[in-house]
Amino acid sequence: MAISFLLMVNKQGQTRLSSYYEWISLIERNALESEIIRKCLSRSEFQCSFVEYRGYKVVYRRYASLFFIVGTKLSKDGNDNPENELGLLEFIHNLVETMDKWAGSICELDIMYSLELIHFLLDEMVQNGHIVESNKMNVLRPLDLMERESQKAESIYR
Amino acid sequence: MATGGINLSKEFFELLKAIGESKSKQEEDRIIAKEVQCLKQKLEPTPPGVNPPLQSKKRAKEFLVRLLYVEMLGHDASFGYIKAVEMAASASLYHKRTGYLVCSACLSPEHEFRFMLVNQMQRDLQSANVLEICGGLLASTALITSDMVPAMSGEVTKLITHDSETVRKKAIITLHRFYELAPDVVTFDELYEKVRKVLCDRDPAVMGSVLNVIEEMAKEDPTKFKDLIPSLVSILKQIGEHRLPNDFDYHRVPAPWMQIRLIRILSLLGQGDAASSSGMYEILFDTMKKADVGINAGYAIVYECIKCITKIYPNAKLLDAAADAISRFIESRSHNLKYLGVTGLAMIVETHPQYAAQHQMSVMDCLEDPDETLQRKTLDLLYRMTNPVNVEFITDKLLDFLRGTTDLFLKQQLTTRVCSVAERYAPSNAWYIKTITQLFEVSGDMVKPEVAQNLMSLIAEGTGESDEADMLLRQTAIDLYVQLLQEKPPAKLPKILLETMAWCLGEYAYLSAALSLEDILAKLCHWNKAALQPSTRKFLTSAIFKLVAQAGTCPKQAAEVVDEYTRSKDVDLQQRCLEFQALLTTAPQYLGEILPVDASAEDVEVDVNLSFLDGFCQQALANGARAYEKPEDDDDDEEDYGAAGAASSAFKMTPYAKPETNINRSAMLARGMGTGGQPAGISLPPGSISGNQAVVSTSVDVVGDGLSLNTRGVANVWGKKPGALPAAPPPAAAPAPAAVAPSTFDSSATANVGGFGGPSSNAFGTASYGGAAYGQAPASVLTKTPEQLEKERMAAALFGGIVPGAAPPPAFAPPAPMAPPRQTVAAPPVAAPPVAAPPVTLAPAPAEEVDLLDLGAFDVAAPAPALANDVFGSSTLEPATATAPPIVETVSENEDVLPAPAPVQQATIDPFAAEGLLGDLSETPLQGFGILSSKYEYNGSVMAPMKIVTAQFGQQWGSCTATSPVSVTSRKVTFLNDFMKQCEEAGLHPVEAIGATNEGICAGIVEGGSKVVLVHGKLSPMGSGAAKIDITVKSTDSTLSGSLALYLQNMMK
Repeated sequence: MAISFLLMVNKQGQTRLSSYYEWISLIERNALESEIIRKCLSRSEFQCSFVEYRGYKVVYRRYASLFFIVGTKLSKDGNDNPENELGLLEFIHNLVETMDKWAGSICELDIMYSLELIHFLLDEMVQNGHIVESNKMNVLRPLDLMERESQKAESIYR
Repeated sequence: MATGGINLSKEFFELLKAIGESKSKQEEDRIIAKEVQCLKQKLEPTPPGVNPPLQSKKRAKEFLVRLLYVEMLGHDASFGYIKAVEMAASASLYHKRTGYLVCSACLSPEHEFRFMLVNQMQRDLQSANVLEICGGLLASTALITSDMVPAMSGEVTKLITHDSETVRKKAIITLHRFYELAPDVVTFDELYEKVRKVLCDRDPAVMGSVLNVIEEMAKEDPTKFKDLIPSLVSILKQIGEHRLPNDFDYHRVPAPWMQIRLIRILSLLGQGDAASSSGMYEILFDTMKKADVGINAGYAIVYECIKCITKIYPNAKLLDAAADAISRFIESRSHNLKYLGVTGLAMIVETHPQYAAQHQMSVMDCLEDPDETLQRKTLDLLYRMTNPVNVEFITDKLLDFLRGTTDLFLKQQLTTRVCSVAERYAPSNAWYIKTITQLFEVSGDMVKPEVAQNLMSLIAEGTGESDEADMLLRQTAIDLYVQLLQEKPPAKLPKILLETMAWCLGEYAYLSAALSLEDILAKLCHWNKAALQPSTRKFLTSAIFKLVAQAGTCPKQAAEVVDEYTRSKDVDLQQRCLEFQALLTTAPQYLGEILPVDASAEDVEVDVNLSFLDGFCQQALANGARAYEKPEDDDDDEEDYGAAGAASSAFKMTPYAKPETNINRSAMLARGMGTGGQPAGISLPPGSISGNQAVVSTSVDVVGDGLSLNTRGVANVWGKKPGALPAAPPPAAAPAPAAVAPSTFDSSATANVGGFGGPSSNAFGTASYGGAAYGQAPASVLTKTPEQLEKERMAAALFGGIVPGAAPPPAFAPPAPMAPPRQTVAAPPVAAPPVAAPPVTLAPAPAEEVDLLDLGAFDVAAPAPALANDVFGSSTLEPATATAPPIVETVSENEDVLPAPAPVQQATIDPFAAEGLLGDLSETPLQGFGILSSKYEYNGSVMAPMKIVTAQFGQQWGSCTATSPVSVTSRKVTFLNDFMKQCEEAGLHPVEAIGATNEGICAGIVEGGSKVVLVHGKLSPMGSGAAKIDITVKSTDSTLSGSLALYLQNMMK
C-alpha cells in the first residue's frame, strides 16, 4: 500500500479534507492530523518537503493557506524507502492541477463547499492507496458524466 | 465548478462560513457540537402533517455531507450513519456516491452497517450504468471486509473484462484488495493470471493501474514475474519514447508515475539476480538520461533509477551514473533534491563505500543543517557508513540527535542503531560501557533489557585478556557510575540505568577512586528514599546489602533502609530485608561469604547430594552417632517418636543425667540405652499429653507444593512451670511460645526457615513470616487456649499487620539460627516446626533446603545472568553447613536430679522487650567481636555471671526463645575445662561441666539483669590437638544471643 492518508489542512490546523486508505480511529485521526500539521507549520519554505512522523513518511506541499499532505508508511525497520518521495510530491501537484482544471482556480473555500466532489475526484486518482490515474482527462471524464446525470436527475428527485 | 457552492441550504452555508471563519480549534469544536445537535434534531420523527426535514433527496444528501464534516473535524457522527446506508441505495448516482463516501469514511471495519451495504454493492456491480459500477467498485474497495469477499469476488472478476476501461482499471485494484483481505478466496494464482492479461490491456490507463498490483505481488513472489521483464522493459521504453497519448504527460514528462512504478517492479525482479538484472541495464541507463530534464517529475524518475541500480545486481557503468546523479542532488540548493541525494548515497554506500568519499563535506553540511528531516537522513547515511574507524564520531552524532528528539519512533530507531553500532564496532570495552551508559541515560527504557544484561556481564566477566585489563574496565565503569551517582537524582535517571548502576556499584564500588565505599553506600541509601519502581528498589537494596558486607559495618542509614523495607508491601523485598537483617544481627561473619566480593561471574554449584556434609557425618558417626535411617512413615508422629525413644540415640528428650565424672561417651550412651524405655511420656501421641501447658499438635499440610509442615507438640524438657513438672518431666508438652507458631506457612515461609539452614527457634520470627508477613491468618490450630490466643495477638501486634490498629513497631529481625541438618536425627523430609521449644525440633531435610532456597528465597523474575550469586543466593548453603549441629542429643542427661527450680526473677522477663534493638546494634562494627579476654558487653553493659544451678538452667532454657547456634573449630580450646574457662572470661557463670559428654552449660545476665543468656557448649575432639565446639546460646533477645554467640565463637578460635 502506497498512500496511507491524504489530508488538506489549512495553516490554522483546520482539516478541510481527509481521506484515509487504512482504518484509523476517529481519535487517532484527530491526533495525527493536528500533530502533522504542527510539524509542517514549524518548517520553513527552504526545508525539504518530507517529514518522518510516527512511522509515516509525510510529504507535504503548501498552496497559499492550504497544506496538501500525503502520508505513507515507512517499512518497519525504517531502512527501506518504499515510496518515491519526490513522486508523491509531484502527485500532489498533479492533484491540484487536476482540481484546477476541473473547477478553474480552486481555493480553500471551494473545497469546503464541494467536499464530496473533491472526494469523488480523489477517488478517481487514488484507489486502495495506489495512484491509479494521473491522466487528468481520465480523472475528470467520469466526474463530468456524473454531474450531467445528477443534473438531469435532480429535476426528478428534488 | 458545477454543483458546489450553489444549491446549499442556508443552514449549511452558515455552518461552512462559521467553520471557515473560526480562528481556533475550540471555536470549531463549539460550532460542530451545535451542528451535531442540529443534525440529531433532523432525525427525530416529526409530527404528522409536517414534512420530515430529510424528505427531500437534496437535503438528505446535504445532511450526509454535514455528517462528513462532523467526523472530519473530529466529532462522532454515528447517530446519522444509517442515513448514509439508506442513501447508498438511492437511484441518483450523485446521492448514491455520497452515501458510499460517508460510509467509507466513517464506518469502522467492525461496523455492522458494512454488511447492510453488501447487497447494494452487488446490485451496483451488475448495473448497466458504468458510473454505478464504478461507484460499486470504489465502495467495495473501501468497505468490504474479509468475510464479505466471497459474496463479491465473482462479480468483480467478471468486471475485469468489462467494456469500459474505467471499470477495468478499478476492477483489477478491487480484486487485488480482495486478495489482500482473503487470499484463500481470491488466490494468488487466480489474481496472477488476471494480472498478466490486464497488463496487455489496450488502454494505457488500465495497464498503468495494474502495475500497482504487479508491484505488490512481486514483493511477495518475484520469481513469478521474471519472465515479464522484457515486456516491462518494452513498456518503459515506449513510455520514454512518448508513445502514450499526450494526456499522460505531466509537465512534458511522459507518465512519470507509471515509469516510477515500472522501475520499481524491475528492481524487485532484478534483486540478486545477475541474469535478470542484465536485461534492464540498458533501459535504466536510457530512462535516467531521458528523465534528467531539470524538473521534479524527472528527478523523481532519476531517483527511482538510483534506487533500482543500488538494488539489482551491480553494474559499474550504472553505478557511476547513479553516483553522478547523487552528486548533483547533494550539491543542489533545493533541499528536496539534497534529501534525495543523501538518501541515495545511503543506499549506495552500503555496498560501495567508495562513493561516499567525495561527499564528505556535503554530508557534514547536511548534518549541521537546521532541517531535521535532512539531519535524520544524514544520520541514516552515517549509520550505514559506520566502520571501526568512524564509529566513535558517528555514535556521538547519533546520541546527540537522540537527545534532541521527541519522536518516539525515531528514538526507538536510533536507540536500536546505537546499540547495533556499538556492539559491532566498539573500539574498546571502556568506550562501549560509556556509550551504552549514555544511551541508557538518553533513551532509558527504550533500550532492550538484554543490552543492560550484556553490559553487566561484560563488566563482571571482563574480556578475558588479563585481570588488570578487566579491573581497569570495572574501574572505568565504576568511575562513570559514581560520577552519575553524585550528579543526578535518581528521578532523573531511567530504570534500566539505575538498575545497572546499582548492580555495578554493589559489586565493585570499592574500585572507586572518587568516593569511599561508605560514601557510596550512604549515597545509595539516600537514593533509596526516592520514589522508585519495585525492581529498581530491589536492585538498590541488594547493592546496599553487598556494600554493607564489603564495608564490614552497617551505617545507620543502611540499617534504616533495610529496616524500612522489612515492612515493604513487596514480599520479595521484605523477605530479602528480613533475611539480611537476621544475617546482620546473628551471623555477620558470614556476610562476606553470602555476599561475596566479585563473584558474580563464578558458577554457583549446588551440591544436591550435600557431599560437603560427609566429613561432618563421618565425624559424628565416629563419635557414635546413629546412621540415618529413613523412617517408614514420614507422617506418623507417633511412630517417629516411638522409634526415636526406643533407639534413644536419635532424640534425647530425657533430662540431663546426674553429673558424673570420668564416664566416657560410650558408657554414657550405654546408659542412655538403658534408660531408653524410661521416658514413656514422650512416645505418647502429643494429643494425649495433658498438663496445664498448651498442647500444640498441629500438622499443617501445604498442599500446593506437597510439603508438609508439621508443628508437633514437643516436650519441654526444661519446662517453664516447674510445678507442673514431675521429676521425670516428659509430659510437659509444648511451651507457651509455641502457641504463635501454628499458623499456616506457605512455601515461602518454609523456604525462609530452610534458607537459614535450620529450625527457627524463634516463634515470633517465624510468625512474622508465616503470619504477618504473608498476611495469612493463623489457621488450623486444633486446640487454642486463651493463653495461646493472647500470645498470638501479641506477636501479631509486634510484627504488625494482623491485628488492626496495632501500630507496627520497628520491625526487628527474627534471628536466623544457623542450625544445620542433624546427623543423628532421623529427619523426615518435613520442614522444621517453628516452635519455640528446646532444640528437639526436626531439621528440614537438606535436599529440600536447596530447592526451597532456589525457588523461594530468590526473586525468580530477577533478570540476571550475572546476578545468579545475588544476595541470598545458593551461597547461603555454605554458612549453614559451616555451623555446628545443635546439641540435641546431648541436651539433657540429668533427669534424675531435676530439682524444683528456684524462682528466678529473670525468667519472667518480657521476651518482647527487644524491639528496636537493631538501631542500637547497627553501629556496632561487625568485626568488633574479636577482642579476647575481656568480658562481653552488650549495649554498653558488661555481662555478669548468673549464679544458678543446672535445674534452674534447664528451667530457663525453655523460656528463652532466641537461639543462636554457632560452631567453631579450635586449637586453643580443646578440653571442656578450657571452654568453661573461656566462658567465665566472657563473664558467664559456669553452671555445670559434664565431662562424660564433653558438654558444659553457662549462664549470664546483661543490662543489670534484665536479659538472660544461657550458653550450652559441646566439644568434639577432632584429633591433632583441635576440637570442634558447638555452642548454643539462648536468650530472650535474639540480638543478644546472636551477638554473644559470635563473641564466643571469635573468642574460642
